[in-house]
Amino acid sequence: MTQDDQHSDAPAAEPRKPVFDGPPLSLEEELAAARAEPEAGPTIETINDSLADGVNRCPKCGSTDVQLRASTGMLVCLFCRHQWQEERVEEEFGLGVGIDELEGTVIASGAQEIAEGADDIVTLTCGGCGAEVVVDTAHAMNARCHWCRHTLNVNQRTPNGAVPDAVLPFKLTRDEAVEKIREFAGKRRLFAHPRFRKEFVPENVLGVYLPYLVVDARAEASYTGRGEVQTRRWTEKSGDNSVTYYAADVYQVDRSVSFTVDDLTMEGAADRAQFDSSTTNNIVNTILPFDTKNAVRWNSSYLVGFTSEKRDLDVADLSPKLEDQLLSIGRSQVHGSLDRFDRGVRWEGEKVDVGGSRWVSMYLPVWIYSYYQENTKMLHYIAVNARTGETMGSVPVSQWRLILAALTVGTFLEGIAGAILVGTA
Amino acid sequence: MSALVTVLASGDGAPLWILAAGPAGALGTYWAIYRYYRNTDKSHAFERDTLIEAQPVQGHEEKVDHISRTRDPDIDGDNSAKYRERVRRLR
Repeated sequence: MTQDDQHSDAPAAEPRKPVFDGPPLSLEEELAAARAEPEAGPTIETINDSLADGVNRCPKCGSTDVQLRASTGMLVCLFCRHQWQEERVEEEFGLGVGIDELEGTVIASGAQEIAEGADDIVTLTCGGCGAEVVVDTAHAMNARCHWCRHTLNVNQRTPNGAVPDAVLPFKLTRDEAVEKIREFAGKRRLFAHPRFRKEFVPENVLGVYLPYLVVDARAEASYTGRGEVQTRRWTEKSGDNSVTYYAADVYQVDRSVSFTVDDLTMEGAADRAQFDSSTTNNIVNTILPFDTKNAVRWNSSYLVGFTSEKRDLDVADLSPKLEDQLLSIGRSQVHGSLDRFDRGVRWEGEKVDVGGSRWVSMYLPVWIYSYYQENTKMLHYIAVNARTGETMGSVPVSQWRLILAALTVGTFLEGIAGAILVGTA
Repeated sequence: MSALVTVLASGDGAPLWILAAGPAGALGTYWAIYRYYRNTDKSHAFERDTLIEAQPVQGHEEKVDHISRTRDPDIDGDNSAKYRERVRRLR
C-alpha cells in the first residue's frame, strides 16, 4: 500500500488552527512575564579560561609537542625541554574552602550537562599544516598530526561536558604498576584459572584516565527508628537444658547531623557506576580515593601516551547517588551516639537535605590490566591507583581446584570430628 | 526431624552436631578462597576515607514500650552499622 492509498479517503486538509492554551493575558500580565527573571538553574562557574584557542602550548616556545614526565609529575616540552606544571585547582579555584557556605548546586564548566548528540568522532584541522585529523573522542582526547607532529586536542571542538576541569597526573610509572600487578596476581596463582595463568602478561598494562565527578557538599541528615536497651537477663531450666531470657526497654530514637564532605569522588561513566554480581566494576571503585587535592588545571598534554574515557553521566544522573552516599556518611557519623542501645538500633526512616553542592569534573589516573574470561564472558581487571599504588583485582578462579581444596578441608575436619566422637563415646 | 534433633543433641560424649564441621569447613574454604580471588565484596569506603567535618550529633529518645520476656538477644533488623542499607525516605 502506498502513501497515496492510505490517504485517499481522508478529508482535504484544513488550514491549521492555533492551539488553545488558555485565555489571552492582559497587557500588564504579559509585561510582567517578559520582565520576570528566568527560573534559577544551577550556577555554572567557568574555571578554566585558558582553553580559548583549544590548544595547549609550551609557555616558553609555543610548541604543542608536550608530554607528561611521570617521574617528576611535570610536563616537558619535547622541543625546548622546558618543564612546568599547571596550577593546582585546589588553590586556584578555591575548591577546598567555603564548603560550609555552599548554596544550591554549583557546577564547574567541565561538569556541565553533556550536549546531546555529541559525536565521538571529530575532525580537527591541524593548526600547524592545515591537514585534517580525525580523533575518536570516546578513547582519546588528543591526537598527533601525522604530517607535521603538531599535537591537536579537542578542548574546543568537543561539546560541553567532555572536557574536564582538572586532571590528576600519573605518578606511578609503568614499571612500578607492572610490579604491583605481578605481585597481586602472584599471590593468587594456586587457584587461578589455568588459562589465565598461561596468558597472564602484566606488561600489557594500560594507563587510562577515567572520568570522575568530584563533589564538595554541605548536608543535614536525619534518621528515625527504634532502639532497645537490655534491662535484665536470666536463665531458666527446662529439663536438661537451660534457656536464656531477656527483658528490654524499647525507645523511639531520632538523630540528626550536619556535615560537610570534601572531594567525594563519583564515577562519571555509566559502564562503571553499576555494581552488580555480573560485573567486576567494583574493582576500579575500590582503588579510590585519589589525592584529588593535587589535581591540576586541565591541560590535554597530560594525556599524551595514555588512553582516556569520556564522561557520560551528568550531575542530574548522579544527584540521587550523592544523596545515598550522604545518607550513608550521616549514618556512620551518628553511629557513635548509639552506645547505650546495647540490643541495637533499627533505623526505619531517613532524610537528607543537601544545602549545597559543588561539582568538578576530573580525570583520574589508573593503570589497568584486563583479562576477558571467555567461558564466563566476564571481563576481569587488576587496577592500580596511579597515585597511591593501591591495587585491587579480580582473578578468574579454577572451579575444580577450588572444589577439590574445599572437599579436602571438609574431609579433614570430618575426620577430626569423627575421631572426637569415637574417642568420647 | 525432631527425633533427629533429639538424637543429635543428646548423648554422654561429644554432641553429634560436631559432624557438621566437615560440610561447614568445606563451604567456608570455598567461599574464603573465592572471595580472595574475585574480591566481589570490596568497594571504596567513602564513609571513612573522605574528608568529613561533622557538627555534634543532635537527637532524642523516648521510651515507648517494654519487652518483659524474649529469647532474642538483640533487636530485629539491626541496621545501625549497615550504613548503605537504605530505609524509607522521609520527606
